[in-house]
Amino acid sequence: MFEIAIIASLCIAFGIGSNDASNAFGVCIGAGLLKIKKAFILFGILVLLGIFLQGSKVMKTVGKNLVDVNTSILTISLCVASFLIVFSNWRKLPLSTHQVIIGSLIGAGFANDVYINTTEIIKIVISWIVSPIAAIGFSFLIFKALEKTISKLPTFFIERFLRTALLISAGLISYNTGANELATVLGPLMHSGIEIDKTLIFLSASIMVFLGAYLLSHRVIETVGKGITVLDPYSGFAAQLGAGGCVLLFTILGMPVSTTYSIIGGIIGVGLNKGIKTVKLNLILKIGINFIVSPSLAFIISYLFLKLTHP
Amino acid sequence: MFDKILSFGKSENIVIKNIKSHINLLCSASNCFKDALNKLEPEKASCVIELERDADTIRRDIISTIHEGAFLPYVRPNLCRFVEMVDETFDTLEDAALLFRQIDKSIFKTIEHECLKIASINAEMCELLQIAFETLHGKGNIKEKNLAIRLCEKQVDDIKFELIDKLIRIDVKNFWEGKIVSDFVESITRISDLIEDASDYLYIIEISLK
Repeated sequence: MFEIAIIASLCIAFGIGSNDASNAFGVCIGAGLLKIKKAFILFGILVLLGIFLQGSKVMKTVGKNLVDVNTSILTISLCVASFLIVFSNWRKLPLSTHQVIIGSLIGAGFANDVYINTTEIIKIVISWIVSPIAAIGFSFLIFKALEKTISKLPTFFIERFLRTALLISAGLISYNTGANELATVLGPLMHSGIEIDKTLIFLSASIMVFLGAYLLSHRVIETVGKGITVLDPYSGFAAQLGAGGCVLLFTILGMPVSTTYSIIGGIIGVGLNKGIKTVKLNLILKIGINFIVSPSLAFIISYLFLKLTHP
Repeated sequence: MFDKILSFGKSENIVIKNIKSHINLLCSASNCFKDALNKLEPEKASCVIELERDADTIRRDIISTIHEGAFLPYVRPNLCRFVEMVDETFDTLEDAALLFRQIDKSIFKTIEHECLKIASINAEMCELLQIAFETLHGKGNIKEKNLAIRLCEKQVDDIKFELIDKLIRIDVKNFWEGKIVSDFVESITRISDLIEDASDYLYIIEISLK
């Protein structure tokens, strides 16, 4: 049973790689700063650094504080989550890894009648709502600050600045992918009470993230950046840094939040500087619906699956 | 792995240096052409042809360095278009220089005053273009330079109408004499349009990154 949970976790890590490498390095690759393979190697290294250096708080929130995880909950919730994530990647549906995992864990926990910390659920849901809004604010302010400072500088200096800045913001997003996203996946595993080699699991999961990025991520690379409002490198940097800063803040607080939604928030924040019309409200509405659908769907499937397999 | 970032814009500096040289050559060619017109010495205009050859080599270097990866892809198309526009200005100036050798001197005398004014404005516009480019990596307001270039272009347009009025009244002996004068006037008046377009591309580069 436990081995299945590990495989499911690694599958989710693979899914994260295929989805989130584009969040991090899409703009850099598009800008010709890094070749795709080099970007993915860098992404993998930063993910590993993130989970090692700052993953513990988020892992504790998801794996220890939220639900009293046992082997059944662990296996069912991770299997359901991995199925939903792989399916959403295949169908190009924007399901959030965090929401699916948290939804599955709570669903399985309910079905198994274990203690579920409602305060923690409220805190997590608030984080989900606040994080994209905070990213909107951060990116809006960063863009404004850039307008007031950097944009006054000579054009070629800005160009040079952006090349380094884009790489830094991409690095931040990659680091967050390890410290928050991957930590959410590995949290239940690490706090399940089963003896597990921490270094080995972190390393294996990071390799899976790298492989996911390497093998599948080009499919998603355009969606985030071009889908909501057209981004130039200047805006791309403001959106990424705003989102990266926001996710890092929530990581420090130990809250599992979605990098993708934060980046979408960042893009909206930049778009707002150029006027509300630049933001495609229909797409935001779709994302809003997914915001409710993802955890609910994961909750229901996990609940039913655990009830059926453990009557 | 990060040579492009760690090089601190080495290839970008080469492109900037080459673009400066390219515009510099255009300024020299414009002044040289103006002198040739001033002194009514068509042989002196051959300097334009020599400078155009040098400029062509520089243009090729610029374009290949940009395509090797200098600058963000977001900036590259407009920068390439700018360089191509300067090159087209060079080609047009070369055409004017070649036609000046063929033009009938008595006909030229009747339009000399206007042609000199245009050549002088063209040379001034080249210098303005140089200053406009400098503002992209130094201090200054490109909008002002762009406006100044547009005003110069307007002046050339006004002189062009006067020239056409004069040309209509000129008697030409044969088709070729008429064609050469017409093409010559067309070439010297087109230069300002091309410089204006080049300056617009600089302005686009500026606003696209701000």
